[in-house]
Amino acid sequence: MNLEPTNSTAAAINGAGPADEGGAADDGMYHRLGHLTRMLHDALRELGYDQELSDVRANLPDARDRLSYIAKMTGDAAEKVLNAVDRARSVQEETADHARRLRMRWDAVEAFTEGGTPPGSRTTPAGAELVQETCAFFAALDKQADATNAILTDIMLAQDFHDLTGQVIRKVVNLAQTLEEQLIRLLVETTPPELRKKPEAPGLQGPVVNAEGRDDVVTDQAGVDDLLASLGF
Amino acid sequence: MNTDARFLIVDDFSTMRRILRNLLKEIGFNNAEEAEDGAVALNMLRNGKYDFVVSDINMPNMDGFALLKNIRADDGLKHLPVLMVTAEAKKEDIINAAQNGASGYIVKPFTKATLEEKIEKIFQKLSGQA
Repeated sequence: MNLEPTNSTAAAINGAGPADEGGAADDGMYHRLGHLTRMLHDALRELGYDQELSDVRANLPDARDRLSYIAKMTGDAAEKVLNAVDRARSVQEETADHARRLRMRWDAVEAFTEGGTPPGSRTTPAGAELVQETCAFFAALDKQADATNAILTDIMLAQDFHDLTGQVIRKVVNLAQTLEEQLIRLLVETTPPELRKKPEAPGLQGPVVNAEGRDDVVTDQAGVDDLLASLGF
Repeated sequence: MNTDARFLIVDDFSTMRRILRNLLKEIGFNNAEEAEDGAVALNMLRNGKYDFVVSDINMPNMDGFALLKNIRADDGLKHLPVLMVTAEAKKEDIINAAQNGASGYIVKPFTKATLEEKIEKIFQKLSGQA
């Protein structure tokens, strides 16, 4: 988006005609913009919105951390699923290999039971039926292994949500960063130093989403246990 | 297809790199390495022997477009096939990739069949040129 002022825009703001275009028009436009900005600052302060803006700004880093936490947790979850898919595929391949080896042996058994004089006399009818059923089962296992592998591929591909949502989260985090910087500038310009309040202690915060640089939180259960032990519990 | 081809997968998300590596393996390509952005990839390409690049676009340090331009501007790399696999679905991005010499373009999310088809098409085109 192009936000550069154009001559026609400046002229419209100043109410000037084409004859006034040029440097004088730009000066007038910037003067008016400055005046509007000052009015906005004064209005914000008089209406008490400076505090609200301050609160919003104070919450933005926490919002960013929470989004980053979501990105990390979803990423970890995706990795866990991929690990599980790898393990399942390995088990599946092992089972399929074993089934293929057994099938070859059962095919030989089937050929043997179908022989004899008269044909089929080497086993009972129930035995022949069992052999045929077993051979058919092993033959079907190959197709089932392929189907299972296709499902595992689908599960693996579904983990691309981490990439897709992660990119969106990254954009929102960057946007929050920009917004925070702009709010800080606005607050610095609108709030007199004597009116700036010290932040109040926060209440319960839920999971710690960013423990880096903080010594008032623990990062894992070992930290909890160590802390309790140091207190004699 | 040349199943001995050496692939370089470029994506800033480790999950996606892993998915692509597994998919390539399923398709029959067991020889793949990974880079987390364009800058790392370019360094690997200039110091190694690769046959095929599969690259994301939106990455830190050096994005996929910059990587593509660098590859096409490098005498030693310019003939390398580069398949873009990205969430960027804007027409101008797709056109930009094509104009800068991308060999193919896949929009995420994608399927194994799509990846296989694009790679096969690129290899067919290469063998036709040879």
